[in-house]
Amino acid sequence: MNGRVKLKLEGVGKRFDAGGTIAVQDVTLDVVQGEFLVIVGPSGCGKTTLLNILAGLEAPSAGSVAIDARPIRGPGPERGVMFQDYALFPWQTVWGNIAFGLRHGPAGDGLGAAGIDARVRSTVELVGLAGSERKYPHQLSGGMRQRVALARLIANEPEVLLMDEPLAALDAQTRIILQEELLRIWGQDRPASERRTVVFITHAIDEAVFLADRVAVMTSHPGRLKAVIDVPLPRPRNDATRALAESQALAQRIWGLIRDEAYRATVT
Amino acid sequence: MSTALPSTRSFALPAARSVALPIALVVVWQLAGAASGNARTPLPTHVLAAALQLIESGELPLALLQSLGRVFTGFAIAAALAIPLGLAMGSFAGVERNVDPLVESFRPIAAIAILPLAILWLGTGTPAAVLIVAYAAFFPIVVNTVAGAKRINPTLLRAAATMGLSRLAIVRTVVVPGALPAIGTGLRIAMGVAWTAIVAAELAVGAKAGGGGSGGIGQMMFVFYAYSIELNRIVVCMIAVGLVALALDRALRAAMRWAMPWAAR
Repeated sequence: MNGRVKLKLEGVGKRFDAGGTIAVQDVTLDVVQGEFLVIVGPSGCGKTTLLNILAGLEAPSAGSVAIDARPIRGPGPERGVMFQDYALFPWQTVWGNIAFGLRHGPAGDGLGAAGIDARVRSTVELVGLAGSERKYPHQLSGGMRQRVALARLIANEPEVLLMDEPLAALDAQTRIILQEELLRIWGQDRPASERRTVVFITHAIDEAVFLADRVAVMTSHPGRLKAVIDVPLPRPRNDATRALAESQALAQRIWGLIRDEAYRATVT
Repeated sequence: MSTALPSTRSFALPAARSVALPIALVVVWQLAGAASGNARTPLPTHVLAAALQLIESGELPLALLQSLGRVFTGFAIAAALAIPLGLAMGSFAGVERNVDPLVESFRPIAAIAILPLAILWLGTGTPAAVLIVAYAAFFPIVVNTVAGAKRINPTLLRAAATMGLSRLAIVRTVVVPGALPAIGTGLRIAMGVAWTAIVAAELAVGAKAGGGGSGGIGQMMFVFYAYSIELNRIVVCMIAVGLVALALDRALRAAMRWAMPWAAR
């Protein structure tokens, strides 16, 4: 990838409690402005830990991590996170959850109440939640909750989107639709300089290939970066992309990199 | 929020079912009392007559209102102090480290044990009674608020932090609503404790004042006990205390449901 480095990881390691398990070891990786980077790897490879470090929610115990060449010392609104368990506020409606960052955080500065409403409205429609605005999270299915979490992330319009298995709870059809929506939101129709930067964790290799500019393959115990695979499929991507022989070949190649460990993980 | 077992007899009138047990108890009381042969045993029929008399004369409603006023004042003072303190303790480790030992060493001191001080400082009137109530109600609210603030799903706090909220904004937008169910529980317990404390305080203040003018349901009971030995009237007071407590708790629960529309029924 060419372009300006947005996120820079250098020799990043994370060890929980002194002398304990090593979650992540020696990860060095640049994420370029406007890039869609997907991380795949078996369970326990430290993907989520790496994402938390980028979010500023956990400090690395080794190495350094930076955004726009400034060290990351904590969470910030320019880095939005979509959590694996959605982290929806149970006391807020769908609307209230999506508007949360705009109302209470810096993302809504200067928008005004009408501007916030307009942004929430368009996001609600984008993710297909129209008609459910007044429901509370406990009244929604898993897939609907995931959409709310996605909508909340998008509504804040962060420069960097950090997403931890954001589509995992969706049924196959919805998932395919939202994958394309996600690419549109990310800006696949716009030049790279106007795109957001995405770091996206998934278990699904076909999803990784469909979405990514590059796929970072991790291995576990300890979590290490095994390979970074370029995905030179043309954009904009659509259903035709999925059928390409090149897509299949890339998926096969990535599967080949993690197969042994994945099998081992199911046995042990 | 109740998770009652599904009823197996859904055709019976719900209202009839909820009063069946109290009515049965009253019947047992009447029969057992009549069988005891002791003329001073209060019987439901006599108690009912005494109750009607006390209501008609206005004595009972007035005493209840006086006590209720003290309970509400003390309860409000307790909540106004305990909720912010509990939120601060539950949100900021430094506050908890410093305040928790204080709270926990005062908590075991029964409210009624500070009565001598309250009377010496504030006399035998309403201020002393309010102080006792506030003291008693304070602790259940603090303890439950702290627990509620600490039990909030940490991912929610993280989510708010990643949206750029300040710590204070996170307390306001995440900790407060997240702790609300626990605060509600604390308020319900505190209301019961406050009502217990007022009766005890008024009884004791009644003794000190020698049946003077401090009023309230507790003092009314003291007067019936010390001057006229009217067991029927004392039982009327006891029942009134219980019924008012029941009504207060139901009202608080309704208020909680109203304040927390997201909580699944």
